[in-house]
Amino acid sequence: MVSKPDISVKFCGYEIENPFLLSSAPPTCTGEMIQRAFKAGWGGAVTKTIKPDKTPVYDLKNRFGRMGIEDKQLVLFENIEEVSKRPVGTWVKEIKEIKKAFPDKLLVGSLMAEPKEDDWEDLARVISEAGVDMLELNFGCPHGMPERGMGAFCGQRPELIDSLTKAAKRGSSVPVMVKLTPNVTDIAYMAKTAEQAGADATSAINTVLGLIGVNIDTFEPMPSVDGKSTFGGMSGPGVKPIGMRCVAQIAQATNIPVSGIGGISTWKDAVEYLLIGAANVQVCTAVMWRGYRIVGDLVDGLTNYLSDKGFKSVNEIIGKTLPRLTSWSKLDKDWKVVANIDKDKCIKCGVCYIGCYDGGYQAIKFEPNTGKAAEVDEEKCDACSLCYLSCPVPGCITWKRVQQK
Amino acid sequence: MSGRTHPPILPPQVRIKTFEPYAENLDDRMALYEASRCITCYEPPCKEACPTHIDIPEFIHRIKSGNYYGAAKVIRQSNIFGGECAYVCPVERLCEEKCVRNSLKDEPVAISLLQRFAFEKERKKGIIKFEKAPPKKKKVAVVGAGPAGLSAAYELARKGYKVTVFDSNPKAGGLMLYGILPWKASWEVAESEIKNILEYGIEFVPSKKVSDLKALLNEYGAVFIGAGTSKSAKLGIEGEDLKGVYPAQDFLYDVARHLQKKGKAPDLKGKRVAIIGGGDTAIDASMASLRLGAERVYIIYRRSLAEMPAVPYGRKQAKEEGVEFLLLSSPVRIHGKNGAVTAIECVKMALGEPDQSGRRAVTPIKGSEFKMDIDAVIVAVGQKPDQEALKSFGLKLKNGLIETDNKFATSIKGVFAGGDVVNGGETVVKATAEGKLAAESIDQFLKGGSK
Repeated sequence: MVSKPDISVKFCGYEIENPFLLSSAPPTCTGEMIQRAFKAGWGGAVTKTIKPDKTPVYDLKNRFGRMGIEDKQLVLFENIEEVSKRPVGTWVKEIKEIKKAFPDKLLVGSLMAEPKEDDWEDLARVISEAGVDMLELNFGCPHGMPERGMGAFCGQRPELIDSLTKAAKRGSSVPVMVKLTPNVTDIAYMAKTAEQAGADATSAINTVLGLIGVNIDTFEPMPSVDGKSTFGGMSGPGVKPIGMRCVAQIAQATNIPVSGIGGISTWKDAVEYLLIGAANVQVCTAVMWRGYRIVGDLVDGLTNYLSDKGFKSVNEIIGKTLPRLTSWSKLDKDWKVVANIDKDKCIKCGVCYIGCYDGGYQAIKFEPNTGKAAEVDEEKCDACSLCYLSCPVPGCITWKRVQQK
Repeated sequence: MSGRTHPPILPPQVRIKTFEPYAENLDDRMALYEASRCITCYEPPCKEACPTHIDIPEFIHRIKSGNYYGAAKVIRQSNIFGGECAYVCPVERLCEEKCVRNSLKDEPVAISLLQRFAFEKERKKGIIKFEKAPPKKKKVAVVGAGPAGLSAAYELARKGYKVTVFDSNPKAGGLMLYGILPWKASWEVAESEIKNILEYGIEFVPSKKVSDLKALLNEYGAVFIGAGTSKSAKLGIEGEDLKGVYPAQDFLYDVARHLQKKGKAPDLKGKRVAIIGGGDTAIDASMASLRLGAERVYIIYRRSLAEMPAVPYGRKQAKEEGVEFLLLSSPVRIHGKNGAVTAIECVKMALGEPDQSGRRAVTPIKGSEFKMDIDAVIVAVGQKPDQEALKSFGLKLKNGLIETDNKFATSIKGVFAGGDVVNGGETVVKATAEGKLAAESIDQFLKGGSK
């Protein structure tokens, strides 16, 4: 009997039953919602961002958008929603209730205030004393809040990351995590700044600033608020590569743990994030789309993966791929391969041919309607991988090692 | 990638009460899903398999992009009857049979459904018109306003020729209006495309039987004959002339005329009907019989299901509706009383080795004769042109069909022919393709000729 792999993870002195946390977003809007999520099996949750009562926030109608491709509804999700409208007192009460009902879950209070050190220090004190296990400083929200000196406004200014992290640390009685925005030139630098300011962890990414679309019938930018719009935060499957890049850069640059966020919908996405160094992962958009219940498959899929791969603990995979990420100049220029098409698997669709012909090296021979499989001209093939990627048949195109002459 | 879209179909007990279409078309969402299943192959076998070589991946790509009118344009550029074909093509042995998805152990892309989708979008907006060359002096006569004749007429009109189309029926359309019944394709589909073709400045002369080609050639520089196959082949057995035995072509024509309130269909209410044959026409006749109120409908076919030429979709529909298949059975005699059918006598058949055409031969099993009480028989064992008409043309014939060279030229200079009257009875799409190709030959001929 093989024992089940251990998927619990350590994070800033806590042990979490699984690496799946809800990120600070609509699914963690109230204590009732967080408790339901915990019941469903989430390892932890970051509250929707709490702000001082004196700071006004608004929720626009509407405030979401989506981008699909072909028949897939969701590639990117956009929001221009602001932080929690609820009073600090309500949150303090609900934090106590959540911790009472679920003492072993990781409850993180997300904070945002104007760039005044006292405000951050006071808010950190009140929320940490309410009983959360950690704080997360929202230096990342890219829409609405930055226009008033909050969110990404702070995350884009190293001096504010430094001073406000220090302020929160002064007020907090629990570990402090800094949530970073990808809308900067060098996110690793921002992470190092947070680390030097005393942050216990970082989390990345917050949403990517973008414009989800324009309604070509009405000419309205989306999401339309009475015909007008503003740039918003992108999340969902499409931002995953950006999130992974940021998390890997942060993991390479800092010695504090990083919580991975950005486009995680399935356990496979989570495994990728863990492999490139995330200490745990946070999920929002996938839950907004399908509910808390997705944690069932996240947990089960991760467990089965670890078991199939022979790992005893999820900790064995955290950061496993990170050493393989290097600079372009350190990659082996002498590594030579060519594409090879399996004649028996080829369905003669010509997709590889037309791609290589118009977007590659004219290295594939294909005669339509002759029943003959496509064939690689090894002299011409430059192993760019376009054919390999566009072929609809799994395992039809493979790589053949070429010995150096 | 998941399986193909299956739009809702009315249940058999409901649909047999009318002759109306019973399968829904794709809506925008389903069309996007189905279009997304297309791999967009390069010069794919589906396009090759289409007699008119519609650029299928291109039109599907345009549906995917939301450019529905552009999709319709791609179809119409290759096939002026793209709408009708989308409804009536036996796609299971044409484009969809060759879909590369079949090689992925998957169902083929629903090409016909996507083509219908594009066509219906086009019909709503107005059928796409293409440019016409400046008028030429030369005139062309087209005999027969079916898909072959109209396709040729359209191509020639676009090239600037003055075209006159003659047909013995009151309306242009041939079998599209007088043979294909509305549950397959609403007549409005063909009518909209015929109207579009005639709007290219083609003159249509209805209810006119042409017999004197010489006279036509005096007036016109060239003649195209697309007279079709309006007659059914005979069984050649005893009792075939009894009352209640109907040649399938005549039967379907009569049903169409009945529905058009211009004629009378046989009264099959409460009757037992045996249809002889295994092609698409047999299936059509069986489904028409049910819709006329027949109580029992049998399809009697000499070979087994595997050899049956009718497309599986049609067979499935007929079977669902209650048509009974008597396979490996061949009629030997039709019995009658007072000149009317009372029973059919058949013999069981044994399958043998495949013949030269690849079809398995059959031989009667001695002593296996059986007799069934029957009230009507519909003979659907093949079709052929009206031999009287062909003789009057004075053209060289071959097996009862007009003989042509590979450029659709007949034995008389300036007279061309295509479609069923040459190929023996195939499909709307093949006839359309042949009309188009023949028009090219006619153009070449007229460019070189004098008139």
